[in-house]
Amino acid sequence: MTDAVGTIAGAVADAHRRGWARVLATVVRVTRDLDAAEDAVQEAFAAAVELWPRQGVPDDTTGWLTTVARNRALDAMRRQRTLARKLPLLIVPGDDAPAGRETIEDERLRLVFTCCHPALSLPARVALTLRLVCGVPTPDVARLFLVPQPTMAARLTRAKKKIQAAGIPYRVPADHELPDRLPAALAVVSLLLTEGHTASRGAALGRPELVGTATELAEVLAELMPDEAEVLGLLATVRLAAARRPGRLDGDGGLVLLSSQDRSRWDRGLVEAGCELAARAMRRTVPGRAGPYALHAAIAAVHSEAQSYEETDWAQVVALYDLLVAAAPSPVTELARVAARSHVTGPAAALDEVAALATRLGGYYGVPAVRADLLRRLGRNVEAAASYEEAAALTGNDVERSYLLAQAAELAR
Amino acid sequence: MKYMLMLFEQDTDWDAVPEAERTAALDEHAAFIAYLRGRGIEFSGEALRPSTTATTLRPAGPDQDLLVTDGPYVELKENLAGFYIVEAADLDDAVEIARHCPTGTGTEIRPLWGTGT
Repeated sequence: MTDAVGTIAGAVADAHRRGWARVLATVVRVTRDLDAAEDAVQEAFAAAVELWPRQGVPDDTTGWLTTVARNRALDAMRRQRTLARKLPLLIVPGDDAPAGRETIEDERLRLVFTCCHPALSLPARVALTLRLVCGVPTPDVARLFLVPQPTMAARLTRAKKKIQAAGIPYRVPADHELPDRLPAALAVVSLLLTEGHTASRGAALGRPELVGTATELAEVLAELMPDEAEVLGLLATVRLAAARRPGRLDGDGGLVLLSSQDRSRWDRGLVEAGCELAARAMRRTVPGRAGPYALHAAIAAVHSEAQSYEETDWAQVVALYDLLVAAAPSPVTELARVAARSHVTGPAAALDEVAALATRLGGYYGVPAVRADLLRRLGRNVEAAASYEEAAALTGNDVERSYLLAQAAELAR
Repeated sequence: MKYMLMLFEQDTDWDAVPEAERTAALDEHAAFIAYLRGRGIEFSGEALRPSTTATTLRPAGPDQDLLVTDGPYVELKENLAGFYIVEAADLDDAVEIARHCPTGTGTEIRPLWGTGT
């Protein structure tokens, strides 16, 4: 009995993971209302929990759930027909709308692009994507972003309301619109990955559940848009980060930087998969016009392919950072370029460049952290220790802070 | 759906602007109107006189008459200088239309409160 219950629970969880977005995406087209569709899909999953133990798990769980959810939605619409609508219905263009697009018509993609519309703020996009595309319950979305549940519920409601009231269409952008629209979707995945890789706050270095979500989303996007260089680049970055993750912590849970990582602990299979994806991404870009995600992946690939830190092809890394700064200007990227360039032109020149960037990156722990590393390499240990301490005071991540303080203590000895 | 395109720009007294500049600005709007007509888009719109000519009514307090005051509701460096109301398929279409509209310092796109379809 316990086994049967466990099997059913597993089947429902599996159906949720694989089917949630597809079911919701289909039902939204019926209801043309995001809340109503969400309710109907939730009811369908509740029905599965109730009925599957008695009727058995259907062969096509997604199909079963879609049918039940659609019927629930139609029932609800019939009941509510007399009620005045406060919100206009979601605009669902006809099937011929995304003109010039032959390859994909996966329902999930409509959902992704609607949730990731640039007319929504990035936090709203992230929250909506987690809730609607990944099916993460609202309390869990709130917990992932360390905000109270009512705050997250209000954010989600506001975003859904804007989609319908402002007439954000429920469709996949046409090919010629993708360059404008894709970054808004990729930024969501990238933010989840960044925060998951190194949390901005808290006791743990990373947040594995965020990495898991980012990985799933990147995989879905790559499955749906296998020819988009930026999508491949993002997935490559996801894979390479995963490959190197085992080397980031030592036996005592302390942070190990790339420069001292035991590269034999990296997952070779993932390194190869990531490098292959990064290469495919770069092959698909117009020379000299690679996008930021393909370039990020290329940089990660160069690091991953090096036998040791010393053998890193720094000239190549710097060249890629030059392209990245041009493609997506950001002072944080400039700082990373300065750090990379210090391995080509030496730490002394880099020190001046860090000073020039400091005013634009006030309060960012990376500035004193990079400066500390340069000072140490110059043998200016007292100043290096002070910079490590400065960096430690600016990071909210406990593991990172411990690492920085340990460096300061070692240099002060 | 109907959307209002609110055109913001620095306050300009178009009476005081050299004629060539004024003509150039009007030509840009003529080109936009030609685009709207070419696409068969229903529209209306007006240009506003500068915010220095604005008058604002404000509640003076309970049981008191509204107070007439000089100036716009909010003092900004850029002000609402004109608007179009256009019929668009959805927000993406409205954005596309707004891209063709002469842009001052910014264009706000707002859906009108419709009854929905």
